[in-house]
Amino acid sequence: MTTSLSLYAPRDSGLDRLHPLTKLVFAVFGVVVGVTLPGVWPNYLFFLLVLLPLAAWGRIVPEFLRAVFKIALPFAISLFVIQGLFWTNGTPIFQLGSLSLKAEGLAFAAKTTGRILVVMGSITLFVLSTRPDHLMVALTQRGIPKTLTYVLVSAIQLVPRFQSKAASILDAQRARGLETEGGFFQRVRALLPVSIPLVLGSIVDVEERTIALEARGFSRDGPKTSYRVLIDTPAQRIVRALMLLASVALIVFTVVRWWAV
Amino acid sequence: MIHVENLTYTYPTGSGGPALRNISFDVPEGQFVALVGPNGAGKSTLCYALSGFVPHFYNGDISGSVMVAGHDIVKTELGDLAGEIGLIFSNPFNQITGACYTVRDEVAFGLENLGVPRAEMIPRVEEAIDLAGLDGMEDRSPYALSGGQQQRLAIASVIVMRPRVLVVDEPTSQLDPVGSREVFELLDSLSRSGGTTVVLVEQKLEWVAVHADRVIAMHEGQIIADGEPRAVLASAEVERLGVGSTRYTQAARLARRRGLVTGDGVLPVTLDQAVEYFES
Repeated sequence: MTTSLSLYAPRDSGLDRLHPLTKLVFAVFGVVVGVTLPGVWPNYLFFLLVLLPLAAWGRIVPEFLRAVFKIALPFAISLFVIQGLFWTNGTPIFQLGSLSLKAEGLAFAAKTTGRILVVMGSITLFVLSTRPDHLMVALTQRGIPKTLTYVLVSAIQLVPRFQSKAASILDAQRARGLETEGGFFQRVRALLPVSIPLVLGSIVDVEERTIALEARGFSRDGPKTSYRVLIDTPAQRIVRALMLLASVALIVFTVVRWWAV
Repeated sequence: MIHVENLTYTYPTGSGGPALRNISFDVPEGQFVALVGPNGAGKSTLCYALSGFVPHFYNGDISGSVMVAGHDIVKTELGDLAGEIGLIFSNPFNQITGACYTVRDEVAFGLENLGVPRAEMIPRVEEAIDLAGLDGMEDRSPYALSGGQQQRLAIASVIVMRPRVLVVDEPTSQLDPVGSREVFELLDSLSRSGGTTVVLVEQKLEWVAVHADRVIAMHEGQIIADGEPRAVLASAEVERLGVGSTRYTQAARLARRRGLVTGDGVLPVTLDQAVEYFES
């Protein structure tokens, strides 16, 4: 059983030690870059010259590449095949019977793939290098309500528990002779004896968890403190501000260019 | 430390009448009180009433007064009771926040909510981890612990807030014998050395007989007996109402019925008392 839904890969690295907000702002910046950079090559260059070195700095290159390609590869294949073959009125560069590859279609596919690589890469880098509870502390310190950050962070750890609970209920019902395999109707019929204990049990769990949280002052008014100290530096603050400025500039630039056309 | 007077409480869904009927008792500071009784006797409801979840979380009708650690429970908000009254219950898994990635962070969670400064938090967290016997596991995930360790973590997370009263509702009912023993030993040392007032709901009467200062037996929302462990647990009346009795009392009662022991002294409730009882 997985212990957490989080993809976080703990490493002793400079990237790992960066303030969570720096990494979050970088992810936002990366998404903006991926969506706004014009042309085919800039996105590939950004991926190779910025994202990949950052992953290397964080010692997460294998995890990074695996996660990015898992998502980007199916997109890339379908983009190249469909856009390449079915671009209307394009310049054929290769002909096979009635099928022809069009240059414009391939260029479009390459451009879109570059965008996907940068967007997914930036998000993956953030997710792989940021411990969720550190992000929770950082957001809470910035005034985001703890109840909201709690929901986000606890879901990452509690959803796998929910899954393992569902699995044990399924096993228990099977042991009592419930048929869970077979045709469609057989499966639908098996859904009820599995889902009812799961839902009722979860309601009880939520009640108990609420009481346990309240007993520890979760909804208490007044200022809260944090045990974790997140190291932030003036340099990181400046970099965050620059990245946000650059993101805004890129968006403005793109909108203006788009209007001018 | 605890003063309950004429407490009657009905759950909003309570079709079977009040869950607590006319309960009155006092607990002085530092006392270790065990609540015993059959299922549905109102033990858990009383725990919730002592920690404010009745009536603030469950609503329902309440009358009478409940004073704990100087707070009028009915009039005080739940948030202000946190830290003053610690509550621990049986499912260790549901007491773990899910938002913390290490044992240390989990223990610190309550202090963060109370707004305790970090400089004060650090030694208190270490002390609670030490007390609960979790040293060496500080940086592990709470989910990587055994049931007994998780329950001790839940206790550490509560005692770190230094509550004046600890309300503990069947802390070992979901644990294996090893886990149960660990938790019992921890509760015992908290009550002996820390001077914390403890109210414990527990079905393991042999343990209660040895460690509790006082036993309160409940039945159908009422207190049916209140006193020294031996006086309450050896009472035939209490046993008849479904509270049960220790195996020592059962053995002595059987011996008396068979005529192996004569006289009608008070029946034993612990091993030592049983040895003494059968020798005399």
